[in-house]
Amino acid sequence: MRPPIVLRYVGLVLLLNAFFLLISCVISGFNSDSAFFPLLYTFLISALFGVFPLIFIPPTTTITNKEGFTIVILSWLLSCLVGVIPYIMWGGEFTFTNAWFESVSGFTTTGSSILTNIEALPLGLLFWRSATHWIGGIGIIIFVLAVLPHMGKPGMILYRTEMSSLAVDNFRYRSQKTMQILLVIYVGLTFVETISLLFCGMSLFDAVTHSFATIATGGFSPKNLSIGYYNSAAVEIVIIVFMILSGIHFGLLFAALTGKISELWKSATVRYYLMALTGGVIAVMLSIRGSQLYSWAKALRYAAFQVISIGTSTGFATIDSSIWPPFTQLVMIFFTLQCACAGSTSGGIKVDRIVLFWKAIVKKIKKMQQPAAVIKIKMDTVALEDDVVEVNILFISFYIGIVFLSALILTALGVDILSAFSGSAATMGNVGPGFGMVGSMSNFSQIPTLGKWVLTATMLLGRLEIFGLIIFFSAKSWR
Amino acid sequence: MGLRAKMLLGFLILAIMLLVAGVWSIYELTTAGSSVQKLLNDNYRSINAGKMMVEALEREDSGILLLLSGKWKQGRSIIETGDELFQKGFTIAQSNVTIPGEKASVDEIEAKYKAYKDLWIKPIVDTSKEGNLGWYFQEVHRAFQDVKLSVENLITLNDQIMYRTATDLKNRAHRAIMPGIVAILAALIFTVLFTFLIHYYVVSPIIRMIKGIQHFMETGDLPDVQVETHDELFDLVSSIQRLVGQVRTAGALQ
Repeated sequence: MRPPIVLRYVGLVLLLNAFFLLISCVISGFNSDSAFFPLLYTFLISALFGVFPLIFIPPTTTITNKEGFTIVILSWLLSCLVGVIPYIMWGGEFTFTNAWFESVSGFTTTGSSILTNIEALPLGLLFWRSATHWIGGIGIIIFVLAVLPHMGKPGMILYRTEMSSLAVDNFRYRSQKTMQILLVIYVGLTFVETISLLFCGMSLFDAVTHSFATIATGGFSPKNLSIGYYNSAAVEIVIIVFMILSGIHFGLLFAALTGKISELWKSATVRYYLMALTGGVIAVMLSIRGSQLYSWAKALRYAAFQVISIGTSTGFATIDSSIWPPFTQLVMIFFTLQCACAGSTSGGIKVDRIVLFWKAIVKKIKKMQQPAAVIKIKMDTVALEDDVVEVNILFISFYIGIVFLSALILTALGVDILSAFSGSAATMGNVGPGFGMVGSMSNFSQIPTLGKWVLTATMLLGRLEIFGLIIFFSAKSWR
Repeated sequence: MGLRAKMLLGFLILAIMLLVAGVWSIYELTTAGSSVQKLLNDNYRSINAGKMMVEALEREDSGILLLLSGKWKQGRSIIETGDELFQKGFTIAQSNVTIPGEKASVDEIEAKYKAYKDLWIKPIVDTSKEGNLGWYFQEVHRAFQDVKLSVENLITLNDQIMYRTATDLKNRAHRAIMPGIVAILAALIFTVLFTFLIHYYVVSPIIRMIKGIQHFMETGDLPDVQVETHDELFDLVSSIQRLVGQVRTAGALQ
């Protein structure tokens, strides 16, 4: 591995951060708020650290897998570190631990916050907070769709097999245009959502920051009451639509945008994703209506927003779901664990793995009935090898194990069991809010310091797909 | 870019980081200093003036009670002293309107004090008001409470701003320290990065070149030394390779 090459490309990521810091700084300057200097200085550091390797290190045309992977992991960690600087320099509620939590939560598109009064933050800092989501979202797309598929491990095969054959034809991973296509979809969705929210009466600042958070399936809102602040059905509908879209594989979105909309429905994963969300909304609606909390219309409105927000790992809120019946909370925790499709900005176990998991169970039952039968598991038209299925089950077990371990540590630190488990699942799945003291209208400020570090570790583990980190630290796995 | 420019750039970046952090710290400290002055000038003076007015009002109230009991001389003397003290406090408050809402508060005090004064400026002793506690509680005491409440509101307003300024001062102190800490850490990291790159792109090729020349002197064969950068070092290696070529040609001719 050539460390200077890694530095050169990490420098590019720092420049991307610097660009958004500059915009935040300009916003801060226009509003004459107290975040101007913290943002300006962080911009300066980020830009200088980004430019220097570009000037000093000569460019190269080839990057090895290991270098590519190291670039991604280091970019993520360094971005989180850069993200800490404006927060900690500004002060307020930001201790180093809190600033690290907020920054990691932003870049991993988790959306969990330690802030008790978000609206006390200056506009420039609020913009930077939302921008971390958007930058993180780009990182995920590039990592998942451009880096992981090249790693060649069975666990990564999912990222290549989940698309329908037509989408694969249209969307050639190894083509040089891949990045451009991904970015066009990402930027395009953000732009269209911003315009839609403007039409719904939101201010430009709020529309942009909410679009950043929606497309990256993040969940940071500049308002204490999140989307509940607007109390607007139109705003909620627009955000619901874009949350659902952001939870679909970007390759499939590309196929749909190029005129093959039927491809979306042909994908078993997307079918399950949409049906699961619909089922979840109906179950939650019936439950909260049954407990006489709201009228039918309100029950549908709240259930649709909350379930889709959690089910796509976004984490926006319109109401405090912590007061909902236990059945509802369990349904929501299921969606916190499952989340949306692979190849999107969503976190969690992913719908694809759940579908594969159920197919593996069905195969096992059939095998027990007919031991001599040769049964292959297929995802759409692609037959999957046994080691892919095995890695999938291992991933799910590992995932649940980490959530359990994290919850165990939190309970040892004195956090109640509901908050500990839901908080761990929400951070591991990059969802954002949990239940109890970390509910949709609460925050993570009451979690002990060590607990916050544990949760940031789970955020990074969840974001880098566990196996990604294992491959990174396992030299033998490199081709 | 040449080697000299690259090195200059490295030191320039270090200098910029430290310079900006220094300037910013000085700015924050200066602003914090002026905030303390502002706090003393704007709020502390108004609070003191408010306290003076409350003290005056209480004296006037005692004076009125003395008048009610028929003690004209003592009563009037206390009231006049109180009125002087009140006017003094009020003048300070009126000339020190510095925060939003303070002007309205001062105007309110003025109006209410006028109404209160109208009650006791007229004779009380040897009139129907003497010993009339009903009149005192119905009119005088109410008017007294009204002015006192307005003055207390002025004090509270300034107290709140003073608390906010003090919190702001704390944040400013934090912001004055942080650039220094961040600059030191960033400079340390940058120094490590700079040293690594200098070693990788300057020192290592020089070491390889020295070893190559030694190898050439021992065996007459110069190994290929690669220099990735197109700077003075690249030119040096190319020149040495050309020189070695010429030495070889000269040796072959001899």
